[in-house]
Amino acid sequence: MSDGLRTPAPSRRAFLAGTASLATSVALGSGVGAVQAQGTAPVTGGRLVYLEQQAHTNLYPPAGGFYPNGGVLNQITDKLTYQNPKTLKIEPWLAESWSFNADRTEYVFKLRKGVTFSDGTPLDAAAVAKNFDVYGKGSKELRHPVSEVINNYAGSEVADPLTVRFRFSKPSPGFLQGTSVIGSGIVSPATLDRRFDELGDATKIIGSGPFVVASEQLGRELVLAARKDYAWAPASSANQGRPYLDEIRYIVTGEDSVRIGALLAGQADVIRQVQAYDEAQVEKAGYRIYAPSTRGVNNSVVFRPDNPLVADIRVRRALLHATNAKEIVESLFSEHYPQATSVIASTAQGYVNLSDKLTFDPAKAQALLDEAGWKPGRNGVRQRGAQELALTAYESLPQPQNRATLQLIAQQWARVGVKLTVLAGDSGSRATDDLDPLKTPVSPAMVGRADPDVIKSQYHWENRDMLRQKPGRGKVNEFVDAKLNELLEAIAAEVNEEKRLDYVVQVQTYLLDQAYVIPIFEEPQAFAAAPYVQGLGFEAVGRPSFYNTWLAKR
Amino acid sequence: MARYILTRLLQAVFVLWAAFTVSFILLQALPGDEILIKFENPDLGLSKQQIADIRLAYGADVPLHQQYLFSLGRVLSGQLGNSIQRGVPVIDAIAANLPSTLRLTVLGFVTAASLALVIAFLATLTPFAFLRSLLRGLPSLFISLPVFWLGIVLIQVFSFQLKLIPVIGAGPWEGLVLPVLALAIPISAPLAQVLMRSIDEVETQGFVAVARAKGASRRWVLWRHVFRNAVPPTLTIGGVLFGELLAGAVVTETVFGLNGLGRLTEQAVNLQDAAILQAIVLIAALGFVLVNLSVDLAMPILDPRLRKAFGGAS
Repeated sequence: MSDGLRTPAPSRRAFLAGTASLATSVALGSGVGAVQAQGTAPVTGGRLVYLEQQAHTNLYPPAGGFYPNGGVLNQITDKLTYQNPKTLKIEPWLAESWSFNADRTEYVFKLRKGVTFSDGTPLDAAAVAKNFDVYGKGSKELRHPVSEVINNYAGSEVADPLTVRFRFSKPSPGFLQGTSVIGSGIVSPATLDRRFDELGDATKIIGSGPFVVASEQLGRELVLAARKDYAWAPASSANQGRPYLDEIRYIVTGEDSVRIGALLAGQADVIRQVQAYDEAQVEKAGYRIYAPSTRGVNNSVVFRPDNPLVADIRVRRALLHATNAKEIVESLFSEHYPQATSVIASTAQGYVNLSDKLTFDPAKAQALLDEAGWKPGRNGVRQRGAQELALTAYESLPQPQNRATLQLIAQQWARVGVKLTVLAGDSGSRATDDLDPLKTPVSPAMVGRADPDVIKSQYHWENRDMLRQKPGRGKVNEFVDAKLNELLEAIAAEVNEEKRLDYVVQVQTYLLDQAYVIPIFEEPQAFAAAPYVQGLGFEAVGRPSFYNTWLAKR
Repeated sequence: MARYILTRLLQAVFVLWAAFTVSFILLQALPGDEILIKFENPDLGLSKQQIADIRLAYGADVPLHQQYLFSLGRVLSGQLGNSIQRGVPVIDAIAANLPSTLRLTVLGFVTAASLALVIAFLATLTPFAFLRSLLRGLPSLFISLPVFWLGIVLIQVFSFQLKLIPVIGAGPWEGLVLPVLALAIPISAPLAQVLMRSIDEVETQGFVAVARAKGASRRWVLWRHVFRNAVPPTLTIGGVLFGELLAGAVVTETVFGLNGLGRLTEQAVNLQDAAILQAIVLIAALGFVLVNLSVDLAMPILDPRLRKAFGGAS
């Protein structure tokens, strides 16, 4: 989304790199869950300064996919269920228990007693029903869009003040996990009575979370205060009472070098978005890098096969084998960015290791291109007749070092005679051209969500439609893959968990066999924190949770 | 004089209308629109049909002239509406950003002007030739410093190394010291250059020689005669530099993570946030009109020859 003004990376890097030595860097693993100093009791009180790269936009919970939004919503809202980031199992939270029918078209949730929103109103079945009615159906009048994670929603019933029933028009096995995600945070009915275009004001978002928005300076600073009467954390949380911190100050600091510098100079405690090339200097100073996995579809490039240049499977397979993901990961990233071994992350549900399909083999790539009729031409670019094998991709601003990644891929493809032009472009051009496979035959893509539905959401024409199929969202002439769609729909509808994961395996295999996707690396969210910051946690897809966080003596 | 002011005011209204209209046309000429950018965003994961419904709800598909008349009517009735991109009333977004930009630019300009004055005077009065040429070289150096680089260097040195001023969590005035410097240094360069050149020019004129011949000291002549005559061209440049000041503010605000109209504008242009952009265009046009109007009105006070032009009013 709105990245601030971008200054050339080398100048920042050169200025800050200093004499960072890689040898001394300390690996901290994936940093998922709470890291706690052993043998010391948490200290209550204190203020944490958190530097965000971008300001939050609209805080309507289903818009929480944008990381700056999720980073705020995760502190101020609770969900019906809690997805344990270690086990990925769904645990009780606002809902004490739940049940569903055999074909997963009906779910009943029993709510916990005594939960209140920060404005004092009770969080009861009526409030929960209202939340999901809006998230599931949207609201024309108030312009609330439908939530991506709630499909086939038919309606709700309040059975008693603490029991709510949801009905679906089709089997919806993904709904239970869907109640645990950031986009399903429960807010007070008063919040949902406001128009969508008023919800960018954080002070208007009333949740039941451990923190409350105390004040906001739009676009610059947000102050969250602890809710002293908070007493409804998930059972697996170490803390069960009020949050340890008194206050969190979110400050928007767009410039990478300023966030890092401020952290190391003691002006901030936790920062989000640390580039891989800055990790060494953070660790050298004794600070910690946290890189929780996003557990979804890997950082990849996808093809739009409606474009005649990449309609031929041999061309796509050639480019897959011409791509050296190992080189990308080793030269641009760090150990926190594992090389992809499938379409989805190794920490995702239903993952299967398909690295034998992802070999780097330029000779094979050359042979496939020869076979497809693309002969070496002028300036090293292959030609078929008068046509050049020249492709275009837009960089994606939210993805880490995406421009550098695409440029390195362009170099790798150039070695087999394929030209890739990497465009920056303004948001309008990017959004428009991205719908047209003729203009963007290649596109970077990733999405984080810890449920098998994520792969369906990414590739089905009804959802994100990354491959641009007919009759999806793009300007597409004819491309449609019925077999893929059938498999994807099976993931969304299969009620047997084992069979469902088997479909996920089949989709991964199919996507790579068709070479629709070239997975590059498993994308983490990278944070850095001062050594005295304890108990920093992350939800299942890497959004920070400050509930268990406390500040040890400096 | 009254007639002159009235003409200028009518011109100002025309400029405001033209700015509004041109910005509306330019926004339409850009590929895509704010609804496409906001709701096609993969973070929301909406379907094609859902996006079509949203376009309908926002009236994004009505003919352009109707959209134009609607937004013009809204502005004329004093309403600015809500930003779809940000989900806040436009007036709140402006209120959160305008004061800090005004503080930054006014302080930046005052600092730049003082810096220019000091450089110009020292460059004229300093006794040693090599020092004078050194000072005369300063503006060329200043103008070639990119603002973002200067900002980062100032932060690294004064905040992170010497720990004199925090960038994060500084008080409202304390936090302005480095940004104001970063903004003022490049802006001071053209001011200093024009001032030095006009001083040089004025010094060669006959009345200066006469004043010196009457026994006035160099400093007195410089202050009393040369300076007064050298200021008008500098003032004109100062009016023009106002625009540059806003451009510099974009970068300064981004580097220092400050709130401000500059950053708001940059983001609004990128996201084609029509409601906010139109408000900013109107404010900027108003600012330009006011600054240039006050420069024009101040000229006759500084330059008696111009007073005659208004029919001898004094």
